[in-house]
Amino acid sequence: MPELKGKKANWLKIESFLMKGRAFIALIFVLIIFTIIVPNFVNSTNLVVMTKHVAIYATLAIGMTFVILTGGIDLSVGSIAGLCAMMAGGFINEGITIGTNTYYPSIPMVLILTMAIGTFCGIINGFIIAKFNVAAFIATLGMWYVARGFAQIRSNGLTFPNLVGRAELGNTGFPQLGAGSFLGISYSIWIMLVFMLVAIFVTRKLPFGRHVYAIGGNEKAARMSGVAIDKTKIGVYAISGFCSSVVGLIIASQLVASHPMTGDSYEMTAIAAVVLGGASLSGGIGSIGGTVIGAFVIGILSDGLVMAGVSSFWQQVAKGIVIVFAVIIDQVQRRLQERVSLSQQVEEKENR
Amino acid sequence: MKKSLLFIVVLALVLTSVAAVSAADSKGLIYVITPSHSNPFFGSEAEIAVAKAEELGYTTKSVVHDDDANKQMELFETAIAEGAKAIILDNAGADATVSAVQKAKDAGIPTFLIDREISEEGIAAAQIVSNNYQGASMVAEYFVELMEEEGTYIELTGRDTDTNAHVRSQGFHDVIDEYPDMKMIAQDTANWDQTEAFEKMETMLQANPDVKGVICGNDTMALGAKAALDAAGKKDVIVMGFDGSDDVIQSIKDGGIKATGLQPVAAISIAAVEQADYYLTNGKFQKEEKQSIDCVLVNAENACMYAKFAPIEGVTSCK
Amino acid sequence: MSETQFPEKTGTLENRAENPDDIILHAEKITKVYPGTTALNNVDFDAYRGKVNVLVGENGAGKSTLMKILAGVEQPTSGKLYLEGKEISNGSIKEAGRNGIGIIFQEMMVFPNLTVTENIFTGREKRVNGIVSYKEQRAETVKILKKMEQNINPDQLVGELRVGQQQIIEIARAVSEKRKILIMDEPTSALSNDEVKVLFKLMRELLISGVTIIYISHKLEELLQIGDYITVLRDGNKMASAKVKDINLPWIIRWMVGEKHTMKSYHQTRQIGEELMRVENITLPRIGGGFSVDHVNFTVHKGEVLGLYGLVGAGRSELFECLCGYAKDASGKIFIQNKEIKSRHIDERISDGIILVPENRQVDGLVQTMSVGGNVVLSSLKNLMKGFWISAKEEKKAINKKVEEIHIKVPDTNNLITSLSGGNQQKVVVSRALLTNPTILLLDEPTRGIDVGAKAEIFQLVNELASKGYGIIFVSTELKEVISVSDRILVMSKGKITGEFTREEATEEALVTASAIGHELEGVKNA
Repeated sequence: MPELKGKKANWLKIESFLMKGRAFIALIFVLIIFTIIVPNFVNSTNLVVMTKHVAIYATLAIGMTFVILTGGIDLSVGSIAGLCAMMAGGFINEGITIGTNTYYPSIPMVLILTMAIGTFCGIINGFIIAKFNVAAFIATLGMWYVARGFAQIRSNGLTFPNLVGRAELGNTGFPQLGAGSFLGISYSIWIMLVFMLVAIFVTRKLPFGRHVYAIGGNEKAARMSGVAIDKTKIGVYAISGFCSSVVGLIIASQLVASHPMTGDSYEMTAIAAVVLGGASLSGGIGSIGGTVIGAFVIGILSDGLVMAGVSSFWQQVAKGIVIVFAVIIDQVQRRLQERVSLSQQVEEKENR
Repeated sequence: MKKSLLFIVVLALVLTSVAAVSAADSKGLIYVITPSHSNPFFGSEAEIAVAKAEELGYTTKSVVHDDDANKQMELFETAIAEGAKAIILDNAGADATVSAVQKAKDAGIPTFLIDREISEEGIAAAQIVSNNYQGASMVAEYFVELMEEEGTYIELTGRDTDTNAHVRSQGFHDVIDEYPDMKMIAQDTANWDQTEAFEKMETMLQANPDVKGVICGNDTMALGAKAALDAAGKKDVIVMGFDGSDDVIQSIKDGGIKATGLQPVAAISIAAVEQADYYLTNGKFQKEEKQSIDCVLVNAENACMYAKFAPIEGVTSCK
Repeated sequence: MSETQFPEKTGTLENRAENPDDIILHAEKITKVYPGTTALNNVDFDAYRGKVNVLVGENGAGKSTLMKILAGVEQPTSGKLYLEGKEISNGSIKEAGRNGIGIIFQEMMVFPNLTVTENIFTGREKRVNGIVSYKEQRAETVKILKKMEQNINPDQLVGELRVGQQQIIEIARAVSEKRKILIMDEPTSALSNDEVKVLFKLMRELLISGVTIIYISHKLEELLQIGDYITVLRDGNKMASAKVKDINLPWIIRWMVGEKHTMKSYHQTRQIGEELMRVENITLPRIGGGFSVDHVNFTVHKGEVLGLYGLVGAGRSELFECLCGYAKDASGKIFIQNKEIKSRHIDERISDGIILVPENRQVDGLVQTMSVGGNVVLSSLKNLMKGFWISAKEEKKAINKKVEEIHIKVPDTNNLITSLSGGNQQKVVVSRALLTNPTILLLDEPTRGIDVGAKAEIFQLVNELASKGYGIIFVSTELKEVISVSDRILVMSKGKITGEFTREEATEEALVTASAIGHELEGVKNA
């Protein structure tokens, strides 16, 4: 009998190990599937291209992770990305007009201004949520409209074409951000990596990160423990807004044009990546690493389905199934973990 | 647990079978990228191009960019990584598409644009579009004729960010504005969308209950406007659209919508694929880059001769 | 006087048929293993028909677990349940309900946003043609409440009721479900004395109508008063069971805590030092007029335990909220070591040396998603920085030091906080506060919902802390606790300080009298 129990426990341990990183398992799973059914799937060019696509969603999702960890949600990331793309495009093609003077900022200045605008949008989100106690869903839904509206107002709904700048104005070089690379890897991938590392450091090693987790776990208790709730909340939405602005810049730079509908519906992809990465929408649970893996699953799934020639309708079905299924696995895994530790305790007791 | 593992396996099998496209004996891969498959216009466009390409011996992948320039860029990159031979594209924005097409060109892949142009020349292998201005003028002339050169009308325009919306509106007005008794009492965008057109029409009817005609930048908006008018009991209002979709052709046959400008979608898609094949076989372009194909006016007299954006073979009259 | 005349009204033990062999529910060799602990180890338990079957034990002894198993909330790892001699399986709370077993939880399970009627019928709504009939539900609610002699409006939102009344709504729900067995988990922990009396009366009436009650409480005197049979658990094992009339308080305590300790005064004499905190005119307006805290002045000295006693609603918790920076509308002056502090937010007050250990652990104290260690250091992350990040080494050191100092029983500080027992969770909240190096420690009902042994440890801790020179303000609704632990006692009533007593002057009578000032009219009504 004890032998059998031991075997059972081992099987449970293996199962639990398999379930633990649901996003990781899902990632390996989609990789294997597409490697089998798509001839050219695993080659370095394709992997780099896919990683580049993933980088955009992952960058958004990293910002979103902070928000979701506090138990909030940010629906405005796609719109803020769109607004920032338009602002950057406007700075380059039309400059800043004060009175009768038009000033064309240099590209580093364009980047800084644009990121400031995105961060500012996030701060407004956070301020409304923290100070007026408005539900995050509502406040960011408002920003979703407002930012998209301003994106269209900026150019009257038109696209800013050909964002190459002019040498005589000293604002050339914007496309480098999207097209350039370092050590053979595009800047957007480096940006994702840097953001990921910084975010991991912030969540694990800074009081701010702990406060984020504490607010998501139990806001009232965090408040009583002296956590500055308002500041932390404003902080997470600012981070999310900042990440959105960077994504807007990358997209505009890659397209060498900025379009007012840039980033439309990207918030859903970002949220899906976060949830797939193991985060709980009620807050307090989740990790940056998980989110990035989640973004990879979604990105590879998207590209893989295209390469596999699956119809666009079935692509949506497949994505939906994978997201929901991954979350089901997570629930199963939590129960399983309990069972494993129980069986270990039973074993210990019997051995005693 | 066992069950969920089983589910994974089943899912894998489904995906595998869906994707079981044989790549053997092919002349190469052609990517067909269009805004969506759920809109009948873009759906037909993609379907016809795919059918033609497969007939000529190519394998195809038909994907959608949802009017998202970034997604379009991703699809281009995927197509390049996959080693596609040519790309047939209905693009996601005249300016925002340039860099993607350039990227394909740099990778040695020609892009044949259909339906919409881009803002630069010399990058795409061909830009084959329907003559929107000619089509719009033609519809406008018929509109004026049915209105008997006088009365109030409403215009629903397409998405502001889309060049075609402006070209068509221009085509309408260059004709209609010649008639001083034709009065436009309201103009708004319904973003190419049926539901939005329905709602906008309902609102406009409140302010302008006596409107005599409605001219729309595309067929889906015309259908939305027509539904709102019917619901308000105003069946006599003259409604015209643009595109020549099957739904509107049916409506014309039933005496609802009066006319539409049929875009020669089939001709465009087929021309694009044929020119791609010519280029891939002979190594040079068959025609000059900018090409436009004229639209056809469809009204009660010839509605039965068209389906799926093309003339029906063998049907020459509606008698 | 014959017993047959008014059996319903009196309902004493003697009036009820008493057959020791009449066991309605029998649990056999129940074992339950949780991550981190064995909660129950081969426990047998009998519930006698129509009696109050009391279950006692320290926190973590396994009472709540056993109850949850009986009620179908949890499944035993091994063991069997017999109802009326037949084996049953309570796979879910619903299945247990079908078997006639109902439970009233310690943390109340009412819907504050629904009316009394809706609460009573939630989950088993009365339907007419598939549509909920509020009228029928209301009629039955009126009937039940009348039977229970409760003057509660069936259309009122439960959130607007007093805590005691909310408890009664839960009982009314169980009554309306016609349960044969009713499990009550510390129903009196949030009730005033009058409300407890009402509850006991209700319980007696339930017994007469044939209901069996399984009752859990930390208030031992209460158990002796209401219980018929008693079972004592310790560390997941059944220690003893007996008829209540055959035993006394020392018997219970001996079995509960072993030979470790018995009730005593926890006060140690020590040197009271200079003034640490002085407050002047602390005032908190009440929504709808008046004051929750009405111009309060007092001082706390180094090494002093200042007890704060008052009835529910006297303003004790509100005063603490003013002091710790939670109440935004508070006014008045606070001096720490003769320096006025101007801060308004909780985090700034903590830096100034004032920190609160809140009354309700689950709601205000713990971050349930975090580990034990994460909870301990949450308030003092700034002190654990090395450069501009948190030093893992410093953090580990701080956690281990506190865990040892305060005797938190935890196998691994990375375990989730929810795996600890109530007493240990409370210690985690206290250690979090201590780690901020406070000058003044505000303890709001630190012994609520924890057992005798854990209480003793908390009192011990309060003494130690005072000896180390902290100034401590200790709030409790338990007279004996306040008197036993404090150097000086303030009594509050209606937001004002209505009495101040030295340790020598303080008697239960004096405190109760002071706490009733301003309450005279209500007092008459309740009596």
